[in-house]
Order: sequence, then C-alpha cells, then structure tokens
Amino acid sequence: MTWWPFIASQWAWLFLLFIPLIIFYFLKLKRPRHVIPSLALWRSVLNDQRVNSPFQKFKRNLLLLLQLLLLFCLVVAAMQPFFPSGADRAKYLPVLIDTSASMAAVDHGGKSRLDLAKEEIRRLIDNLLPEQRLCLISVSSTARQLTDFTDNQRVLRDALEQVQVSQVSSRLDDALRMTQALARTFPIETAVLYTDGNVPPEIDFELPFQLNYQKLDPAGRNIGITAVNARRVNDRWDVFVRIEGSKGESDTDETPINAEVILQTAGRDPVSESISLTPGQSQRIVFPIEGEGARRLEVQLKPLDFDALAMDNVASLDLPAGRPLAVYCATELESYRHALRGIKDVLLYPSDDDDSKAASYDLVLTDSKTDLDLEAETFIFIGVVPDDLSKLIRVDDAVGQVIDWQRNAPLLQHVLLTDLQLADRPVSLEGVRDRDFEELGYEILIQGRSGPLLVRKEAGERALYYFLFHTDHSTLPFRVGFPILVSNSVQLAQQRAGLSEVIANQTGILPPLHLQPEKEYQVQGPDGNVSKVRSSVDGTLSGISAPLNGRYSIRDGGTELASVGVSLLSVAESSLGTVDQLQFRELKVGAASTLLKSDRPIWHWFAVVGFVLLLAEWWYFQRRPGGILAT
Amino acid sequence: MNLLNPQARFTTLLENETLARLEKMRLLPRRRLTNRTRGEHHSSKGGTSTEFADYRDYVAGDDVRNVDWNIFARLERPYVKLYRHEEELHVVSIVDASSSMQFEGKFERARQLAAAFGLMGLLNLERVSVFSCNHKGKDPVFLPPCSGRVSRKRLFDFLEHVEGGGDFPIEQAVEAVLRRHRGRGIAVLLSDFLTFGNLEKCMNRLYSNGLEVFAIQILGPSEIHPDVNGDIRLVDCESGHAVDVTSAGDLLGLYQEHRLALEEELGILCRQRSGRFLSISSQDSLDWVLFDLLRRKGWVR
Repeated sequence: MTWWPFIASQWAWLFLLFIPLIIFYFLKLKRPRHVIPSLALWRSVLNDQRVNSPFQKFKRNLLLLLQLLLLFCLVVAAMQPFFPSGADRAKYLPVLIDTSASMAAVDHGGKSRLDLAKEEIRRLIDNLLPEQRLCLISVSSTARQLTDFTDNQRVLRDALEQVQVSQVSSRLDDALRMTQALARTFPIETAVLYTDGNVPPEIDFELPFQLNYQKLDPAGRNIGITAVNARRVNDRWDVFVRIEGSKGESDTDETPINAEVILQTAGRDPVSESISLTPGQSQRIVFPIEGEGARRLEVQLKPLDFDALAMDNVASLDLPAGRPLAVYCATELESYRHALRGIKDVLLYPSDDDDSKAASYDLVLTDSKTDLDLEAETFIFIGVVPDDLSKLIRVDDAVGQVIDWQRNAPLLQHVLLTDLQLADRPVSLEGVRDRDFEELGYEILIQGRSGPLLVRKEAGERALYYFLFHTDHSTLPFRVGFPILVSNSVQLAQQRAGLSEVIANQTGILPPLHLQPEKEYQVQGPDGNVSKVRSSVDGTLSGISAPLNGRYSIRDGGTELASVGVSLLSVAESSLGTVDQLQFRELKVGAASTLLKSDRPIWHWFAVVGFVLLLAEWWYFQRRPGGILAT
Repeated sequence: MNLLNPQARFTTLLENETLARLEKMRLLPRRRLTNRTRGEHHSSKGGTSTEFADYRDYVAGDDVRNVDWNIFARLERPYVKLYRHEEELHVVSIVDASSSMQFEGKFERARQLAAAFGLMGLLNLERVSVFSCNHKGKDPVFLPPCSGRVSRKRLFDFLEHVEGGGDFPIEQAVEAVLRRHRGRGIAVLLSDFLTFGNLEKCMNRLYSNGLEVFAIQILGPSEIHPDVNGDIRLVDCESGHAVDVTSAGDLLGLYQEHRLALEEELGILCRQRSGRFLSISSQDSLDWVLFDLLRRKGWVR
C-alpha cells in the first residue's frame, strides 16, 4: 500500500497556479466595465451597512475560496489519484476466466456465472491504472489467450465481450501452464481466476505465482443428463439415461425437481418418462429399443421447474447396425475354435467348410506373429513373445505357475487361474523389472512366478494381448474358465467394435475416425463453422475439437462421410458442485472470501467535484437574488 | 393618410391625436399660485371678469356701476355684484438634459412631457417657459415665457432642438433656473433625480418662489431592474467615476430598496411643499402617462 496515492505526481507543480489565481483575483483584472446613467443609487447601496457586514465580506472572499477549491480539484485530478485497495498492486495481472459449461448456469435472476465474472472483470478493467496491464485468458478444457498484456481498456472490453461459454468440462492445467509461460516474459506475481468453483479440486501443477481464486456466487438448482449409453441385449438395445439433480443457491431446499425425459428415435414416435429427483441425487432410466438397424437417438430433458443449466438437457447417441462378430482364429488353435463355435453371432474365419477370409476382422486369435498384418482391432496372440519384449524375457521349457492376475481386466473377468499348470515358463531376464515392461507400453495382466504371463498393449486403435506361454501347453483349455476367457475375448471385441455397448460421445474432442490416409477433410460443427483437418499416415482422423453440443459432419467435398453427435454429459458440470480449495502439488489455494480489490482511480470524481464547484460558483454569484421588491 | 406622414405632424414630439386630446385638458394645481396679470385661472379675490360670483351689501365708496339695479328695484336695498378675478398661472418646465437622461429614451420622454405640459398651459392662456439644463456652471437654455395658442410652434421648436448631454445636477439646475425665472405657478421638474446633491434645498427654493412642484422621475428599465451580475465595474456616464461591485447580483435586492427609498423621499419632499411626485419608466406609454396616470393622480383634468 502506498501512502502517496497519485499516479502522475509530476503534475503537482500545477499547485503553483494558486499564486497567479490569488494575484489576479485581487487585481480584478477581468472586471467588466458597465456604464450606467448615475452611480448615485449604487453609491448608496455600497455605503449600506449591510453590504459591509462581515457576512458580506465573507461572501466576497467565498468567490476566491471557490476558485481555489476548483483549481485544487483540477490539479488533484491531473495528478490522477487512486483509492488504494490495501493490497499490493500487480503491474502484470493475468485474468483467467472459467468458460466451462457450468459457467452458463443461471441464478433466479437470470444471470449466468459468466455474466457475473464479466461484471467483476469489467470493474477491474474500468479501474485499471495507467501502469497496470491485464491479460485475459479463457479456461475451459483448454486455455486460450484472448489478449496480450495491455492497458488498452477498449481492447480488453472487446475481448471480454467475445468470451462465451464452451460446452465442455473445465481443466485448469493448460491455463496455469500458459500463465507460467507468460511469467517467463513478464514479471507475473499474481494471477486471478474467476470461476464458479466447478473445477477439479486437485491440479497436478506447481504454482510459480500466487493464485487469487475468485469463486462466484452459486447458481440455482439444476437437472441434467450426465450419461447415455446403450447395451445390446439379444435383438434389442437397452438405452440407459442417467439424470442428475443438483442443489442450488439454497442447500436446504429439498423440494424434488420434476422433469420429463423424452427419447426420440428417427422414424419412430418419441418415448417419454417423468422423473422427480431430490437435489443431489441421480436416477437411471432405461428405454428398450427394438430392431437391428443403425439409428440416431436424441434424449431430451424438459425440466418442469427452474433449471440453471440448459445445455445439459440434450444428448445424442448413435446406435450401430447389428451384425455378427468376425473372428479370425488360427486353425492350429482348435480349442479356441471349439469354444467359439458355441458362441452366438460369431462368424469364424477360416470357416470349417472352406478357406474363406474376410477383409477385416473384429477379433484375431492366433499363435503367429505374421497375423499382425490382418485388419482387426483386437488381437490375442497365443504363445507369442513380441519382438520388443524379446530383450526382456525368454521362455524356458519348464513348469510355470500363476502368482496373481488382474481379476477386473475385461479379458480375465470370472476366469479362475489358481493352480494353472504351464509347460512353458516365461522368465524375465536378470535385472528386468515390471517398470521396464510399462515403459514399453505393456500392462501385465497375469504375473507368473518368474515373469509376466499375459501382457496387454494399446497400439493406436488396436488392442494387443500376448499370452507369453502357449495355452495348449497348459491346463487352461481343460479349465472351466477357458470358455469364459474365450467369451470375454468375444465381448471385448464386440465392445471395441461397438456391437454390444455404445456410449454417447462427450464434448471436447471427437472420437478418432478411420478414413483414407493423408487426406484433407472438412468438419462442419453445429454452429455451421467449417474447419479443415488432415488424416494421419494410417488414416486416423483425430484431435478434432468439439466444444459444442450437437452433430459434427465430416465431409470430403460435398459427400458426408460421417456424422458424430456429442453432448456435454459431465457429472461434474451438471452437478454444479464447487470446491472451496484447490489442491496443487505443494500447496492449497482457498477461495477468496471477498471480491478482488483493485486500486480505483478517483481522478474523475475530482473532475466532477470541480465541475460542480464551477456550476455552484456560477449559480451563486450570477443568479438574480430572490425576493426583489415589487415596484 | 396624411396623419401617418411625419411631414403632416405638427411636431415630432407628439402625435397629432395626442395634441388634440391635450388641447382639451387643463392643469390642476393644488395651490392657486397665480400672477397679478390676467389669466384664465380664477383668483380667490374678487375680480373683474364677466363671470358672476356673488352679491354683497353696498358700502360707501363702492363704485355705483357695480350696483345691481334690478335687485335694488325689487328690494329697495343696494347690492353690489361681485365677479370672479381670473389671473395668469406660470408654467415652467425644467428639463434635465444631462448625460444621465440620454439613456433608454429618458430625455425623449422628458421632452414629450414638457411639450404636453407646455401645450396645456398655452391653450389655457398661461405663461409657459421651458428650461433645459445641460452643463454645470453654464446658464440653462430656455424658452422665454410665452402664452397663447400662437406660441405652440415656438414651444415645440424649442423642445425639438434642445440638445442633451452634460453634467448638470438637477438641484443646481433648479437654482440656475430660479435665478432667471420670475412668476408664480407650476414648476414641472422632469429628471431622473439621480444626484448626489441635496434636493431639499432646491424644493424649498421652488416653494418659496411660489412654484408648485410637479416632479416626474423618469427612469430607464435598466435603472428599475438592473441587469448586472458578477464582479463588475460601474462607471458614471457624467462624471466618469467608477465603482467596483462584487457579486452585483446579490446587491440587486438592496438596490431596489434604495431606489424605492429615493422615490419615497422625493414624494415626501414634494408633498410637504404641496407638490406632487410621480415616477415613471421611459418605456411606459406616453398616452397612458398623460391620459390615464396623470388624470388618476389628479394632475390634470
């Protein structure tokens, strides 16, 4: 805090103008001449005792007093005083504005959290001192720098007006890293964050500056769709819709929130169901959808009471067309083929009758490394050690034993491996630890006594499972768990192919698409904006930003190749939950209990007072006196 | 219409219609201060006019020509017929022609009123004289006493050509006039009476010289309601003296008090000497002053 709250102290020399003002006043240099017929009456008026009374003398000097006050106000205004906030002034202040979906939540007054944040930031901009610079950064799932550090209030206001809510969840990491990068160029001591508090409570970031966490007032009650998924059951889909209700400004309000959930399917009548949710609770609704063909579903939530957030009231889901699962299983793996034959909706290749092959498969079960060239998403290799693991492991002809396995892994669910006897024994080479496998991207699913027995690796869109021992050289095919293992592999492949379960896509980034390699495509968003993206060498189109609810159309020229619907579907955003404290790596930052104080320039008040003094002087001394005697 | 043509007007000071109306009016002085010479004003003494006044008993020494023989024949007692004595009234107009009267038509209005009073005097066979006072220390310009309808042209010519400007205070102007004037009657004072001098003395002189004072104060609109404010320097047009006034707007109330006090003082001075006083604005209509105000105040009939 400074004891001298003036920005332009150099203008204090203007106080010297008091001297000529006083001199000119007493010299009366500018007294206008007024020729009159006779001074007789005015002489008598001036000789009147009342004119020379002390009060009248005072009134004469009041003019000088007012002029001195006027000059004082003007000089002080020129010195640009400010009202010290009591806090140290930050010269460079980054302002992080949360623009995640929850910032669109309105209160009963109809104001969104972003509106409140803008009001506060507008006040900050209005009170900007000449030596201060602000930088606006919007924070949603990513961070975007809206302005450079500037004191141009027009630029800051324009940028602030452009800020809009993104229909995505919030993440602070990017914004804080961006601020950290700015701190290398500018001496940033403090950054201020305006948010509704609906942010991840734990942030993996080491704060190199102070963070002023400005938590806005909470919004009203909200009800929204937080998840939509469908699971295939025989010839129908069961569509699950999760609805969540949140508490609003008043935590004590336990009045149920009523709403109607409507499921619309193209070409069919909409199905609706009414729900009543207590704030803070959630409910799952199931809609059975009969049929095999691909279809687009849209779930709408129509609140019957106050609803703070509108953008979480709609979600879309694309159901794929039903088809059998294409499984390639090497003919040498007869135990697997035998098990696969008993599973419904599985096309087994090569078939038992002929040597037909498919262009692509959903699941490949093989004991040959060369089958990796097949077109498939899920591979299960039996008794194969991948090349990159050959430096870490060897397979001995010795009896092996299972020590432990991941019982929750999709492939191993309900598969009991206790007392499994192995004729092959994979052995980790000396000095090799589990971390070495992880560094190569492998996850150990079954751990043997001397090394891993089953590892999993995600290679792009492919899921690769490697049994490092040959199952035919073990007691596994004779165990009850073997058909379960095969069934799990089929379910796993069905899930990856989207044949058994579909989950609605969230806003943020579109799911990867497989198109032609190294080709440019157009992506048209729900707002009509078109962006160009280029597929990778393997034909993957990924990393497409999808910040808005709705459908994104991927086109090649005028042809629509794919249409992907995305929805908010965020429990965190719909719950409108807030955190009072942000946990960083080494410290915690609590929400400020008061609004951010800023040094307020008050020069304009002095200018206004000066103007009022000028008017008062004019009015007081130039007015006609009241009560002129009637003639 | 010839009357609208200035060439057809008898004088530039007054409209012909005003002249016609003035010819029918007479002055009404409170006191009958008349001259010995014959005039049209009835004397309180018995006279020799043809207008009968009263009878009285014959006493020895009376002119027997005045005995009413018809009464004597009926009553056998001699009675003498008495007639009204008609004496001459002197109407002297003193016009303040100093520089202070040159503002806002005050001098013009003074000349018009002097012409009106003079005309009323001439048409009633009074002796009329006019004094115009300009410069201090110099003799006033004056119209010698004249009477009768034939003198109208002289009166109007004098007033039309009299010039304004100068620094003659009204009280000294009256003194200068009285040094020349002889005769009793009415003294019409036409001035703004804005003087630093003592008016009481000149009023006494007028009274002692047998002149009933008809004082008319003529002020301009800016003197009645001054349009001044702020810090100004007021300059006297006659003397060139200046007075600095601060926040003049605040003093206007006080100014009004002093102006009304001056009117009151002038009125008292006149009334104490059987005179009359009026204060008018130079912007007041002449017809309203002559045919309404003066009549209502009983100055004329």
